[in-house]
Amino acid sequence: NKYNTRFISTDKIPPVFLCFRDRKEWADLEPVPQDDGPNPVVKIAYSEKFSDVYDYFRALLKNDERSERAFALTSEAIELNAANYTVWHYRRVLLQALSKDLREEMRYITAIIEEQPKNYQVWHHRRMVVEWLNDPSEELEFIADILSQDAKNYHAWQHRQWVIQEYKLWDDELDFVENLLEEDVRNNSAWNQRHFVISHTSGFSDAMEREIQYCLYQIKKAPNNESAWNYLKGILQPLGLSAQPGLLERVLELKQTHCSPYLLAFLFDCYEDALENSKENVAEEEQQKTLKKALEICQLLAQEDTIRKEYWLFLGRSLKNKHGSSDPSDEPLADDPEPSVPVSEQQEMS
Amino acid sequence: MAEEESQFEEFEQIDFLRDRHVRFFQRTLQVLPERYASLETTRLTIIFFALSGLDVLDALDVIDRNTMIEWIYSLQVLPTEDQVNLSRCGFRGSSHIGIPYSTKGPGVLHPYDSGHVAMTYTGLCSLLILGDDLSRVNKQACLAGLRALQLEDGSFYAVPEGSENDIRFIYCAASICYMLDDWSGMDIQKAIEYIRGSLSYDNGFGQGAGRESHGGWTYCAIASLCLMGRLEEALSQRELDRIRRWCIMRQQSGFQGRPNKPVDTCYSFWVGATLELLDVFQYTNFDKNRSFILSTQDRLVGGFAKWPDSHPDPLHAYLGLCGLSLIGEPSLRKVHPALNITQRAFQHVQQLQQTWRDSTGSCSRQH
Repeated sequence: NKYNTRFISTDKIPPVFLCFRDRKEWADLEPVPQDDGPNPVVKIAYSEKFSDVYDYFRALLKNDERSERAFALTSEAIELNAANYTVWHYRRVLLQALSKDLREEMRYITAIIEEQPKNYQVWHHRRMVVEWLNDPSEELEFIADILSQDAKNYHAWQHRQWVIQEYKLWDDELDFVENLLEEDVRNNSAWNQRHFVISHTSGFSDAMEREIQYCLYQIKKAPNNESAWNYLKGILQPLGLSAQPGLLERVLELKQTHCSPYLLAFLFDCYEDALENSKENVAEEEQQKTLKKALEICQLLAQEDTIRKEYWLFLGRSLKNKHGSSDPSDEPLADDPEPSVPVSEQQEMS
Repeated sequence: MAEEESQFEEFEQIDFLRDRHVRFFQRTLQVLPERYASLETTRLTIIFFALSGLDVLDALDVIDRNTMIEWIYSLQVLPTEDQVNLSRCGFRGSSHIGIPYSTKGPGVLHPYDSGHVAMTYTGLCSLLILGDDLSRVNKQACLAGLRALQLEDGSFYAVPEGSENDIRFIYCAASICYMLDDWSGMDIQKAIEYIRGSLSYDNGFGQGAGRESHGGWTYCAIASLCLMGRLEEALSQRELDRIRRWCIMRQQSGFQGRPNKPVDTCYSFWVGATLELLDVFQYTNFDKNRSFILSTQDRLVGGFAKWPDSHPDPLHAYLGLCGLSLIGEPSLRKVHPALNITQRAFQHVQQLQQTWRDSTGSCSRQH
C-alpha cells in the first residue's frame, strides 16, 4: 500500500519517520490543528508526530474523504489513541464505502483487543464487523482466549452474552461455565453466566434440584464464597426461600461444618420469608418461634460479620417491629441502640 | 497516655492531605503529558472531576472561573442556521474534531460533529459548579440531541452515529433532564423498564439484562430512579431491601464493585452513595472505609488511586474525596448522592430552576 510508506530509507541513511505534512501524496490536504482557544483546559501535550497524524485526520474528517489513504491513516490514529470513538466511526464509514475486506478487519480488531481488552470502542467495533459479516464463528473461541487472560473482563462477558443470544449459540456454554468454575469457584462472572444460560435454555423449574445440589457441592468445597450463596438465593427467590421443602434443614446441617456469614444471612432470609408468607393457619406461637430464630441469627451475624454489625442489628430491629408480638414481656435485643440516636452520629464521636 | 500517643501516630499515617489534592486537581486542569492521550475525547469529564473535586475541597477559589466557563461553552454543539443538525446537539468532550474555537452560535456544519451524552452531562454540571446560569446553553437543542439517543428498549447511545448502549447513559440522560428541569429529553417509562430489566438474580444491577451485577451500574440505576422521582414506583419495598443487602455486602474494608473482586476506592462512592440514597449508609463501617480510601492516597502528588501503591488519576481522586465526604470527613463539602455535585452546587441548581419557573410564570401573565 503506497500510503503506508512511513519510512524513507536508502542503503546509507537509517530510516526516518516521515510526517504526513512532508509526504508528497498528502500535499493537496491542508492539516487542521486542534483549536482550544486562548485558555485551554486539561490540555494534553502531544508530540509532533501525534499532532501530525491527528491534524491530517481532522482534515480528512472535514472533507468526509472516502479513500484508501484515509483508511490507512485511521490505523495510525488508532495506534496513537484507540479510545477515540470518532476515528473508529470514520473507519467504519470507510470500511463500507471502500468495500474493504471484513475478514482482514476481523484480524485487525482481534489484535487490537488482545492489546487493549478494557477499551469500549474496540469491542463495539468488533460487534459491528461481526454483524456485517453475519458470522459469529470465531467469537466464542476469541472471547475464551481473552477470558483466559482476565476471567472477569466485563467487556468480554458482555460481548459473549450478545453473541450467544443473537446467534443462538447456547449448546456448549454450560460446559464452558463449569470449566471456569472448576478453575475458580469464586468467579462471580461465571456464576452470572450460569444463570444466564439456564434461564434462557431449560429454565429453572426442572433444573432446580440439580442447581441446588451444584451450589451445595460448591459451597462444601469453598464455604466462604458469596457468589455461590447469591446464586442459590437468586434461583430460589422467585418461588420463596421457605417454599423449597427440606432446604432449611440442609442449610442448618451445613451450618455445623461449613458456616459463613453468607450461610447465616441465607438462614435469616429463609426465616424472614417464612414470616412474610405464613399461611393463615400458622399459629402465632409458631411465628414467634421463627422470629426468635431469625433474631438469634442477627445477633450471631453482628458478632461474626462485624463490618456489617450495625446493619444486622438494624435488620433484627426491623423484623421485630414488623412481626413482633405486642407481648410486653418480650426482651429487647442486646446491643440494641435507641432507635432515636442516628448510628452515624455514634460513629463520628468515636 | 500511651494509648493517646499511639492513636495520634495512627492518625498521622492516615491523615488527609487536603493541600496535595488541591494541587493535584490544579495540575490536572493545566497540562497533561501525552501518555494521557486516551482521555482526549473525554476531557470534559476530566474537567468535571477536577472542578467538582475542588468544590468538595472548598477550593474553587484557586481557579479562574470565567476562563473555564468560556472553554466549556466552546464545546457546545449548537444548531446551524437551518437547524439541520438539531438531533446532534449537546456538548463535545473536546476540540479533537477540529471545529474552530467559538463560544457563540450559530453552529458550524461538519459531517462528524455531534455531542456525547456524558459530555453534555458533565458540561452542564461543570457550568453549574462554576456558578454559571446556563443562559448560553441551547436547552431545546440539548434535549433534541438527547431524544435522538434513546433506543426502543429505553437505554441510550452515547452519540447519534451509534455506540454501545447501556445504563450508564440513562444516568447521564436523567442528570441532564434533571439539571435542565425538563423531562421531555427522555421517555421515562422506557428507561424504567430498561433499569428494571437490568436487575440481576443477585439483586444488584448489571449494565443491561442478564449481565453481571456491578457497583457502578447499580449506582446508575438507583441514582437515575431517584432523579426521576420514581424510586418507589419502579421498585417494591422487598426489591429495595434486597438491593440494600447486595450493596452493603460490597464492603470488605473499602468497597468492591462485584462479589469476589478486590476493593477499589471509586466504589466507596458508587456503592456508598447508593446506600445513602437507600437510607442505610449509616449502617456501614465508616472507620474501615476511611482507612481504605486513605491507604490509596498518594502522599507525594496528591489524588487517590484505585488501590494502595498505585498511580492516582482524576476519577479516583474525585470519587475518593466523595467517598470521604459521605462519611462526614471534616473540611469536605457534602455531596448530593444522586447528582454527584456538592450540596452547595445543588442549591445553585435549585435557585436557578426557581428563577426559570418564576420568569415563565411572569411571561404567561403578560399574555
